[in-house]
Amino acid sequence: METVVQQTDYDALSCRMSAIAKGYLPSPSLQVDRCNYHQYKEFHMEYLRALKSVSMRIYSIVNRVVKTSFPVMNYGTYLRTVSIDVALNDYLTSLGKDKKVQVINLGCGSDLRMIPLLQNFPTLTYIDVDYDSSISVKSKVLWNSEALKNLLDLQRDESTGEVFAERYKLASSDLNRLEETMQRLHDLTEKDCTTIIITECLLCYMRQEESQKLIGSIVSYYQSGTWIAYDPIGGSEPNDRFGRVMQANLRESRNLEMPTLMIYNSKEKYASRFPTTDASVTDMWEIFSNRISADENKRLRSLQFLDEIEELKVMQKHYVLSTASWQK
Amino acid sequence: MDLDLDVPMHDAIEDQPVTQDEDKNSGNENELTATTTSVDEDEEKDDFKPGSSGIADHKSAKPLELNNSNINQLDQWIDYLGKCQILSEDDVARLCKMAVDVLQFEENVKPINVPVTICGDVHGQFHDLMELFRIGGPCPDTNYLFMGDYVDRGYYSVETVSYLVAMKVRYPHRITILRGNHESRQITQVYGFYDECLRKYGSASVWKMFTDLFDYFPITALVDNKVFCLHGGLSPMIETIDQVRELNRIQEVPHEGPMCDLLWSDPDDRGGWGISPRGAGFTFGQDISEQFNHTNDLSLIARAHQLVMEGYAWSHQQNVVTIFSAPNYCYRCGNQAAIMEVDENHNRQFLQYDPSIRPGEPTVSRKTPDYFL
Repeated sequence: METVVQQTDYDALSCRMSAIAKGYLPSPSLQVDRCNYHQYKEFHMEYLRALKSVSMRIYSIVNRVVKTSFPVMNYGTYLRTVSIDVALNDYLTSLGKDKKVQVINLGCGSDLRMIPLLQNFPTLTYIDVDYDSSISVKSKVLWNSEALKNLLDLQRDESTGEVFAERYKLASSDLNRLEETMQRLHDLTEKDCTTIIITECLLCYMRQEESQKLIGSIVSYYQSGTWIAYDPIGGSEPNDRFGRVMQANLRESRNLEMPTLMIYNSKEKYASRFPTTDASVTDMWEIFSNRISADENKRLRSLQFLDEIEELKVMQKHYVLSTASWQK
Repeated sequence: MDLDLDVPMHDAIEDQPVTQDEDKNSGNENELTATTTSVDEDEEKDDFKPGSSGIADHKSAKPLELNNSNINQLDQWIDYLGKCQILSEDDVARLCKMAVDVLQFEENVKPINVPVTICGDVHGQFHDLMELFRIGGPCPDTNYLFMGDYVDRGYYSVETVSYLVAMKVRYPHRITILRGNHESRQITQVYGFYDECLRKYGSASVWKMFTDLFDYFPITALVDNKVFCLHGGLSPMIETIDQVRELNRIQEVPHEGPMCDLLWSDPDDRGGWGISPRGAGFTFGQDISEQFNHTNDLSLIARAHQLVMEGYAWSHQQNVVTIFSAPNYCYRCGNQAAIMEVDENHNRQFLQYDPSIRPGEPTVSRKTPDYFL
């Protein structure tokens, strides 16, 4: 199961690279202007270049997907990426530039958000956590690139494949193992520091008990924080078969399970995962319909021809962005 | 909807070349730095010019006559295709040449008598097409009208369109195949048919033959002068059905204009004409549908083009019906499919169905639909 879940990172990376190759990302208005992300395409291409030296196999998987991706996937990747970036940026900005804050990306895979965030928020520390196999590839890639190494200020090559730079940590933990995970977080983070947790398609692969215990332990451990999560939801309408088809497809094709897809199958039920009362859950179709400006929409339209509006809607109604804050 | 959103399809469909070649070590296998197939370079790529397949170079002056020899040939092909096996490239060429000599004589507004079973998008879901014929009854015992979009998205576009074209040539008065917006050179290069042809035949020649053939497909049909059938919807430039008859349809689907609209437009809750979120065609309101039906003495506009979760959906107070015949569209959407039977007395009945079992697909590289993982 670990390998199967870990491999979903190749999908995420492929989708992101495809959206970059086609010009969906970075969004000039939302990522560059609003979030102040710079050199987004460049550091992603640099990551890919270094990945090619580290693992030709993963590189070819990514390359193949980029070649064949459909507009509907690029739109979805765009929505997912941009909405998390904006949520992160808005929260960090609301805290103020000088506030000490730590961002913990659980199940980070090859996500590169640490690069712009560390640049933009000088008092921020960033902790990436994932399976051992994932972080060892990621750290090899980072070490393989002078540019990325310098950006993240990597100094000492750890034998474990982990990274413990001044402001950036890349640590291994099986997030299904609560004690191990909490111990790692205890060692690497500060209990009293304002904390942002990112889980981008992590909770969906965990069993209900493990995922809820992880949420509960983290929320009770840190003094204050916000949890930004992106996940699929199975759908709760009687005739809605999207979730069941998705479970069957993923099980059949790659042995991948989504144990809580039909449990937290609506926005309301997804919100109930978090012990806070203010969890706000928005589906990605709402984000597409209400939060993407006419100009940005026009820009997207100019990139590829999208003849799949209804399909886009069906899919995006089954993915949610959730933000839940707590303060003791 | 914002009225500034319109981007001409011509501009929108161009792939964005990634100019920044940061990967100096890589050869041309790097798709991130090499541009993927550009789909708007007809002038430069002679091979992609309409008509280059040669299937229409020796058109007959009169419709194809069926004789024992070609009936035998067609029956063999249909038998073979019915097992989801592809024809040889040479046979596709023969089939397409025969089809040109059937389709070139059909009118822009193909007259059709009841009873007939009207079907929507199929999109390369071959096994579901076989299910459709099980649900609706075998052709030629049942008359069929398909409203376009045979190719793209599903994994069996070649088999699906070959089968339907072979049936069309074999039973020209029993089955009608209209053109959808995906029966186009440009769209098929983005949505799968082109890649599938390359994969299954090793070259683009079969794709060229079929896309050249698509130019001859009729664009609308009229069932007993009462039900106007087409893939997309209405056009602000078309008030009467006679105006459709005057169009020159034998061409690639244009980026704009009446022929484009007929294949691209969608009904909408808002009245009047609107800019389509698809970037081609228009949205049209109930007032437009009512006026069109009144002007042309119609009882209904039947169209396809949009995924509807129950397989069919009424709009504009039953002035318009949408029919979608690809169940679990893209193997992912979980929708039902439907076909609409119209009997001798013009009674309509919808038959809904679910996906058929899909056997293993050793030759297909994209075996499962994509999700955000």
